[in-house]
Amino acid sequence: MTPGPPTKASIEVRDLVVRYGAVAAVRGVSFDVAAGEHVTLLGPSGCGKTTTLRAIAGLEHPASGEIRVGGQAVYSGAARLNVAPERRGLSMVFQSYAIWPHMSVFDNVAYGLRVRKLPGAEVAERVRWALDLVQMGALAARSAAQLSGGQQQRVALARAFVFSPSVLLFDEPLSNLDAKLRAEMRIEIKELQRGLGITSVYVTHDLEEALAISDRIVVMRDGVIEQVGSPAEIYDRPRSTFVADFVGSANLIRGRWRPDLEQDGLVALETSGGLIVHGSAYGRHPGAEALFSVRTVHVRLTRERPLGTRNVWPARIRRRVFQGDFTQYQVDWDGRTLVVRSATGDPLAEDDEIYLAVEPRHCVLLEDEPLRGGPLPPG
Amino acid sequence: MASWGSRLLAALVGGGAAVLVLYPIAFLIQASLSVGDPQARPPEAYGLANFAELPRYSRIFTNTVVVAVAATVVAIVVGFVMAWILSRTNMPGRHVFEQLMALPYYVTPLMGALAWSLLGSPSGGFLNQAWRALGGTDHLIDINSAWGIAWVMALFEGSVAFVMIGAVMKSMDPALEEASQVLGAGRIRTMLKVTLPLVIPGVLGATVFCFAEMLGSFSAALVLGLPSRFYVVTTAMYQLVSQYPPRFPTAAAMGVSLFAVMFVMVWLYRRIVQRGHYATITGKAFRPRVMRVGRLRWGLFALCLAYLGVAVVLPVLTLFSASIQRLATALVPARANLTLANYATAFSLDAVRSALGNSLLLGAATATLGVVVMAFLAWLIYRSRLPGAGGIEYVLMFPQAVPRLVFAFGMLWAWLIFPLPIYGTLWLLLIAYLTVFLPLGLRTIAGVILQVDRSLEESAQMCGAGWGYRMRTVTVPLLRPGLVAAWLLLFIASVRELGASILLMGPKAKVITPAIVESWFSTSTELTAAMALLQTLAVAVALVLLFTVARRVTQPAGE
Repeated sequence: MTPGPPTKASIEVRDLVVRYGAVAAVRGVSFDVAAGEHVTLLGPSGCGKTTTLRAIAGLEHPASGEIRVGGQAVYSGAARLNVAPERRGLSMVFQSYAIWPHMSVFDNVAYGLRVRKLPGAEVAERVRWALDLVQMGALAARSAAQLSGGQQQRVALARAFVFSPSVLLFDEPLSNLDAKLRAEMRIEIKELQRGLGITSVYVTHDLEEALAISDRIVVMRDGVIEQVGSPAEIYDRPRSTFVADFVGSANLIRGRWRPDLEQDGLVALETSGGLIVHGSAYGRHPGAEALFSVRTVHVRLTRERPLGTRNVWPARIRRRVFQGDFTQYQVDWDGRTLVVRSATGDPLAEDDEIYLAVEPRHCVLLEDEPLRGGPLPPG
Repeated sequence: MASWGSRLLAALVGGGAAVLVLYPIAFLIQASLSVGDPQARPPEAYGLANFAELPRYSRIFTNTVVVAVAATVVAIVVGFVMAWILSRTNMPGRHVFEQLMALPYYVTPLMGALAWSLLGSPSGGFLNQAWRALGGTDHLIDINSAWGIAWVMALFEGSVAFVMIGAVMKSMDPALEEASQVLGAGRIRTMLKVTLPLVIPGVLGATVFCFAEMLGSFSAALVLGLPSRFYVVTTAMYQLVSQYPPRFPTAAAMGVSLFAVMFVMVWLYRRIVQRGHYATITGKAFRPRVMRVGRLRWGLFALCLAYLGVAVVLPVLTLFSASIQRLATALVPARANLTLANYATAFSLDAVRSALGNSLLLGAATATLGVVVMAFLAWLIYRSRLPGAGGIEYVLMFPQAVPRLVFAFGMLWAWLIFPLPIYGTLWLLLIAYLTVFLPLGLRTIAGVILQVDRSLEESAQMCGAGWGYRMRTVTVPLLRPGLVAAWLLLFIASVRELGASILLMGPKAKVITPAIVESWFSTSTELTAAMALLQTLAVAVALVLLFTVARRVTQPAGE
């Protein structure tokens, strides 16, 4: 393919299975990425997200399934088809940046264009364009071995998009940068991706990163998909204890389903301590025993009893930890401890008797069996 | 993922190399089982009689073990002490010494043996002469004894042990020791309870490795042992093969026994090294903690000087002194005795000239061909994910467990019956060198390959580059320093090879190292010393030339 205006391509992954010897790292994963969409694969290490990405790139040989890019199959287990990585027309940014230390910045970026045998003048022009876009134009002649981590990352980006690939793949590109630079690059990558309108798949274990830059997030665990949705959906309505816990900190409230106490379409659970908690089902159906997930930031603590009667209980502050932007409280409630984060303003003292309130829309009914996922440590 | 074509090529090359290694070993084993007419090929009958006969040579086996144990102990003590001094104390000049510690390796066991023979032979050795001049009786040292042989081998092997143990000491996280001291343990207690247990796997590994090498070593035992009829297994094999009539089956049985023992040793070594890794090697480069040793540091300084003195300076000086005397009678030559005739003779002798030329030619060919083949094999084993790559690696590392002389014995038979007329030519030596130096080259290149992150190649692939383009623009340029180092190592090793060459060399295609040994036993000491120094000089000149050329070629980096 020749560079020109970016060509967007959709990606379809069907029933993908990747094995390392006897171990299945990816066990039947299916998802789509629309042309121009930015999808993030999110999960803890070992969940199969990087393996899935590398299978799309062609760097891993799947055991079965199908991968299509722009409607064309690049891998098909059934048809015994496996297009070589260099013929898939994709591009990738590596975790280690993979900047070639024996070349200059210019030569690194020009590589993909020279492979495509573009005339020298056009190579120079496009490299300049790409380097300017990542604010590295001034360093084109520098040897790549002399770059800092952040600069290497920028060069790796420029190298990846300069030849107008149909899809950009990102393998944890920011994980080797320090926190401040990471937050900066996150925004730059998002702007770049939007500006080029290029289809991209991004792998990370960092929640904030995923929430910040994605159109959609695919949460993975143990080689399967746990949940797919927009960042807001994933954050506000986790489907399982795993997602609830992985996507930011959450309290889990377990209880017996009380259909008789249902009000205004809210699900009611009775805790072991006899408290009734109302929550939202979001179309899910509770079992006899069910779980609510409540984000630590969604619990309100007040000295005075708030208005309303639903989901308001007296409680006691057990421990307070000042953390700068917020204060984290451990609160005795229903014979257990809830973790609550609230903006540092008027701090409550340890041993204060207070009121605890949660809006029912923030008590999210989870799908999984409460017996399977025990209480998870929040945070 | 490799295509079918490249997989086939990979399988062919890997399999071919494996055959190169296994083919001679098969012949060695076959010969050891031959119980008919010892000259018959293929054997008339098979049996274990040759092995049953081995107890008759128990003396030789005892000699071998005594020499190997003594040499190993000395080498490990030297290596350990030097490694500790140079990496863990504040001895002055330790960085310079660290570079100099490579020198004993370049003074080969052969050169060491020649020099120490001049210094320490019981009757005419320079040191014994001095001893008698000072009023001593008889002789101070007998270099032609088991201890003498072990001494010379240990001086050489000490630098090998130093490199192995030094690597372990340097890779140890100083925080481990600091933690012990912070928790209240004193310096001695920390040393005993933390430092030593962490270093022990590395030391043990080095011990087993050195012991295996010493069991199979040849040149020092040949030069120093032959005059006093003191034989170890390798020299006994050489004697059995070169005497008339030769006794091939007995020699083969000895070789197989040695091979078996060394195989176990090398296996043990790999186990120890793999197991020891968890404690010390974390892949991070640490600056090891330096111990302030106070006034003792000048004592340590003297110790380092002493080692380099007996391992490098004294041998080279001795050879030099001998080479410029008409008759090498004293370490400090008398003016009337001075001459350059030995060098003139060495240059005028057609045999020496052609042998040196052949050796340099062979060295260049082995290194060039070897780097290409071994780089491909290393890539195959560590990068291609070809099924069975681990097995290929195992087979290719085999020659490490076979003394080169024993290996050459297998090749002698293997290529004698091979339908290509290469026996007695340089071609056979080329094949032999390529085979016996496989582990050396592979390990050097693999070290570099493993350092080059896989993603550097993958990113080229993601940029759309095919296999050939990738190799040319990314893989090979990144590996260049390692490939150059491997080339140099192979070149030096080939030019100075003795064990395989002495058996496989043809009368019309001589190489220099066996020629030096021949000269030692059949012509003059002084000429031999000149030849040995000329060989060293030729290697050095070749290397300097090569470096200059290589620098000029690689200077303009990039395309």
